[in-house]
Amino acid sequence: MMITPENLVRHELIGLPIEVVEGRNPSQVGISGRVVDETRNTFLIETRSGDKRVPKSTNSFLFTLSQGLKVKAVGSVLVSQPENRINKKMRRSRWKL
Amino acid sequence: MSRRKKGYYRARELARERIERLFLLAEEEHLRRPERSDRYVSIARRMGMRMRVRIPRRLKRRVCKGCRCYLSPGRTRVRLRDGVVTVTCAECGEVMRYPYR
Repeated sequence: MMITPENLVRHELIGLPIEVVEGRNPSQVGISGRVVDETRNTFLIETRSGDKRVPKSTNSFLFTLSQGLKVKAVGSVLVSQPENRINKKMRRSRWKL
Repeated sequence: MSRRKKGYYRARELARERIERLFLLAEEEHLRRPERSDRYVSIARRMGMRMRVRIPRRLKRRVCKGCRCYLSPGRTRVRLRDGVVTVTCAECGEVMRYPYR
């Protein structure tokens, strides 16, 4: 099953290119790199200047899928342990290409 | 089985794919950060347990049964003898034997 914007919530996010596009903390907006690890509330992003741990709930992220599609997702939808997220559903209003 | 549970089967299929992908990432990351590989393995195992999905045999054998760390050439000793592969983990000393024909 290919990763699509619909099943982004349920798919494996570790290893995907990611960018913080919106957020309450301006110093975090613009962080970009690869997702290296994930906890219930944060992403660990490997950037050129090192690893940054970024909270999910206060930020919006842009993921780049393998076909070149970019999907923007509100971070609060992704709040969950990685092994639990597989059962979560994401409403259509929460993501856009 | 009843078709009502179609969503359930799709989730398990997704779990299988994610487990494969995590092991792939573990292999890639191992050179630079072995502790990340261990973490990916633990996520994969937990997901398999939660979704009741079996980890494929060839992937299961890349994990130490004792300390659950990702086994790679740097931390593993593999010997063949009498039709048995003996894998020894360098981290915890666990010895795993797998027969082969």
